[in-house]
Amino acid sequence: MTHTLSLPWTPVALSSDVPPGTVIPAKLSSGPIAVWRTQSGHLSANGDRCPHRGMRLSHGFVRGETLSCIYHGWRFADDGSCTHIPAHPNLTPPSAIKCNPRQAKESGGVIWVADELPDEEPVFFEGYKPLRSLVVAADETSVREATQATDVDSGLAVNHAGTDIRLLVSDLDGEQVFVILLLAENTSPEACVSASRWAEVMRQKAERICNHGETT
Amino acid sequence: MKLYDYILSPSCYKVRLLASLIGAKLDLQSVDFHPGQEHKGDALLTLNPAGAIPILEDGAFVLTESSAMLAYLAATTAPEWEGRETPDMSAKVQQWLAFSHRLTASLGGARLVEMLHGNGDLDALQGAGIAALRELEAALFEQRLAGQSFLVGEQPTIADIACFPYVALAPDGSITLDPYPSIRLWMRAIRSLPGFIEMPGIHRLHDLVPDPQSSKEDH
Amino acid sequence: MTDTAMKDAWYPVGLCSDLSADGRKTRLMGEPITVKTGPVGAPEVLNADNEPLPVIIRFGHVWTSLGAPQTDLFTIPEADQPSRKLVDVGVVRVKCSPLRAVENFLDIAHFPFVHTDILGAEPHTEVEDYKVEIRDEEDEVWATKVKFFQPQAAKSAEGGITTEYMYRVPAPTCSVLYKTCPPRPGEWDVICLFVQPLTEDLCDVWPWMALYDEDNTMTELIHFQQMIFLQDRSILENQIPTRLPLDPGMEMPTRADMTSVAYRRWLKRHNYTYGAQLVAK
Repeated sequence: MTHTLSLPWTPVALSSDVPPGTVIPAKLSSGPIAVWRTQSGHLSANGDRCPHRGMRLSHGFVRGETLSCIYHGWRFADDGSCTHIPAHPNLTPPSAIKCNPRQAKESGGVIWVADELPDEEPVFFEGYKPLRSLVVAADETSVREATQATDVDSGLAVNHAGTDIRLLVSDLDGEQVFVILLLAENTSPEACVSASRWAEVMRQKAERICNHGETT
Repeated sequence: MKLYDYILSPSCYKVRLLASLIGAKLDLQSVDFHPGQEHKGDALLTLNPAGAIPILEDGAFVLTESSAMLAYLAATTAPEWEGRETPDMSAKVQQWLAFSHRLTASLGGARLVEMLHGNGDLDALQGAGIAALRELEAALFEQRLAGQSFLVGEQPTIADIACFPYVALAPDGSITLDPYPSIRLWMRAIRSLPGFIEMPGIHRLHDLVPDPQSSKEDH
Repeated sequence: MTDTAMKDAWYPVGLCSDLSADGRKTRLMGEPITVKTGPVGAPEVLNADNEPLPVIIRFGHVWTSLGAPQTDLFTIPEADQPSRKLVDVGVVRVKCSPLRAVENFLDIAHFPFVHTDILGAEPHTEVEDYKVEIRDEEDEVWATKVKFFQPQAAKSAEGGITTEYMYRVPAPTCSVLYKTCPPRPGEWDVICLFVQPLTEDLCDVWPWMALYDEDNTMTELIHFQQMIFLQDRSILENQIPTRLPLDPGMEMPTRADMTSVAYRRWLKRHNYTYGAQLVAK
């Protein structure tokens, strides 16, 4: 069962990993995206490609409420429209110039993105908060085997040293999975550190299983 | 102080960067590393028999390892960058200075192969580089949990400067930095420091300066 | 075979100053080749079957071709003027299409963002109209009367000036830039980008310069140009798609991109498509 892979929303990052005024790269099954937050805190996502010369917009910069491409400084609003072309400062950019906007939503401290607006809301783990994300060069089956996790809701559940851990697993590119670790809201700082270290070890284990076909 | 320098060398950049951050004056002596191989020439071999740069000269005093140069610059100009407030901090600084040599060997090695026709087992170098990046990401994540932005505390130290360049330039060796949110925020914190200077491959954070367009509209 | 047109062109494959009898193994358009000093001391280029390929020595580099070049390698008369410093900048490998590398070299609008405080700086971002033509007689792309404000246009420039440029594309993977020369008004510095296509997505770039400059050491001049090109490298390795799209719908040019538009048109006209993406994907 790999129901996490078919969610209408894809988890791409933790909210805390994208502070105001920053942009990060992420992946949907439809291709690479740039996820960015304006100075005022508004979150957006769009295709990771400037329509001018194809430069990845996730290498760009956020000033105020717009995202600029690092290559020529073309500036885009949250609806994907181009608002300024520095080479022609007095030109109003034609409305045909767009960087493909995606749907972005925050829920429970996780950033979710979809190509088109889904009917459903992103999944929500009541009582849990995200700790950190990891990319694992293995498939979900290997992650499952390494962690000995069981299915719950739309994720995996495991108990490590008395700490309840939820894993949100999504496919990145067929060869890697993106994993978000969630812990119960009242987890102590020491247990947070311990869970993070456990996840590092689990990643190595999952990758060994995936590479060598080790099974349990 | 005179630094034998190469604009594309991340190790030379460490020294230039710290000097700029703490306001220390360096005289730069450009070394024709590529294509001239000047660092393997007689003049520089007398200063560093290993045939490597950077080399730092302060009068008759000569240093040959970038970590030592960072320690020297901090000790002579800005002791707060040494990170010696507690025994734990001192030890952690040493840990990351040692770790930085793994970054040089792995990420730096991959960069030489991918960019400047260097020799080496690219897969092995990249694999070692990714392992090092994961360790750094995990450590920086724990620092964030403790409310600290830098490797050894709330303030930057020579440990951060020793690790920053090869990490920031990992993509030069075809190693993506996309999966490391804590490294990204740490790099941003370093790049936002007053006096920060770039090297080729590390772009300016244009968002740190106000938008010239809107200031024009305001006035 | 659609790449015949480009197979017949000349490409840089090494520095004359860096040849050895053992030879250096490299690639040209996917084919393994060896560049070496031959038995009588002259540079030699051999293909995978150890057969000699045509060789020209010019601009400090060894040039060769996989096909049967119909024309001589282009010349740069200005570079022969006495008292210029001829600067071998060396080689940088870039994971991009050789055509993308040339197109970036023809672009000035990126200076304020990629070469910040050196070749450009906000708020001086405007690109004024300039003249672009495909000169039929020489069969070259030319852009002239290109002007841009630069904080530090060259190693020899003190403070900001408006610099004038001319760009020239005399071969599919080569470009020559003529640029106002601060110490000698009326003369042009010559800065070249010679690109060796290793594959359609990978190239070795050999910048080369012929400058009037008495103030800087050769090493300082090399470093300046390496710095500029390495700032471009991180752009070139992150363009999507990797290959240069010749389909006009794929990428949106403005008036500032007239040189690139002419370059793409010229490539298409000659069927110079090694490193190009022809159909939108």
